[in-house]
Amino acid sequence: MRFVIIGAGRVGLRTARVLQEEGHDVVLVERNQGRVERARRGGFSVIEGDGSREQVLESAGIDRADALGALTSDLNVNFAACLIGKHHGCRTVMRIDEDYREDIYRRYAEQVDEIVYPERLGAIGAKNAMLGGDIRAIADIAQNLQLVELTVTANSPTQGYTISEVQLPANARLLAIAKRGESIGLPDPDLSLEVGDRLVVLADFDVLEDVRQIVVGPEDAILSASE
Amino acid sequence: MVTVYVMIKANTGEADRLRREIEELDGVDRAYIVAGDVDIVVRARLESTADVKDLVADGMHAISGVADTSTYIAMG
Repeated sequence: MRFVIIGAGRVGLRTARVLQEEGHDVVLVERNQGRVERARRGGFSVIEGDGSREQVLESAGIDRADALGALTSDLNVNFAACLIGKHHGCRTVMRIDEDYREDIYRRYAEQVDEIVYPERLGAIGAKNAMLGGDIRAIADIAQNLQLVELTVTANSPTQGYTISEVQLPANARLLAIAKRGESIGLPDPDLSLEVGDRLVVLADFDVLEDVRQIVVGPEDAILSASE
Repeated sequence: MVTVYVMIKANTGEADRLRREIEELDGVDRAYIVAGDVDIVVRARLESTADVKDLVADGMHAISGVADTSTYIAMG
């Protein structure tokens, strides 16, 4: 597929790299000369110019592109680029700078197909690393709703119980389970939980810690077990 | 008569509520939810420049979700 990406900063360049490595055609648009040169040295095709101008996007091949990623840190440039991209029949992805704006753009910006907030994704990664191996955030579904994968430990109070016996908080649902070393599937209510089993749960942020206590076990117990 | 434009930066995703509460303020003619580095642009028609403070400092800043405002008074 063909993609046009506005902005060759950290977000734009990294996205371009991933797409290019997967065999897609990518053209970057960047107005800062230093960044243009850096991206060219990195093997990317770059148009130097303002990505909020139609002429510039046309020279980047917007007419033939499947999607446009407006990934600069400037919201005005990003939105203008999406307007132009939509006009040329592209799927449009816009980077936003603050999370409260996600709802506003989803609701009102018809020219924007998808919103990305890179800081949120970065925070999920950082949180996973800090929490350690027993709980892993898969995605933020909404501001208050998170999809997490938890691993049953030796300290887990649910160990030995069947899935139908496990009581999760009201704002949490068990979606899938994988027995130790096996691939993930829909939960069978008669399956019993053993150390190393992985559970995928959709939970409200408010009950995330409760879910962790139930599935993984109390934190102090984990610490003393690892000492 | 004074015409003023106020650019509002929010800190909430509840743009509909903000717009509704802003449009209820005395003198506000129209409020638009906009794309870009501000979230709402308001046009107001006031009796005098003294009313600007009442509208912006007392009215808009009292609304929960209004983070920052910039006011422009039309000259011509």
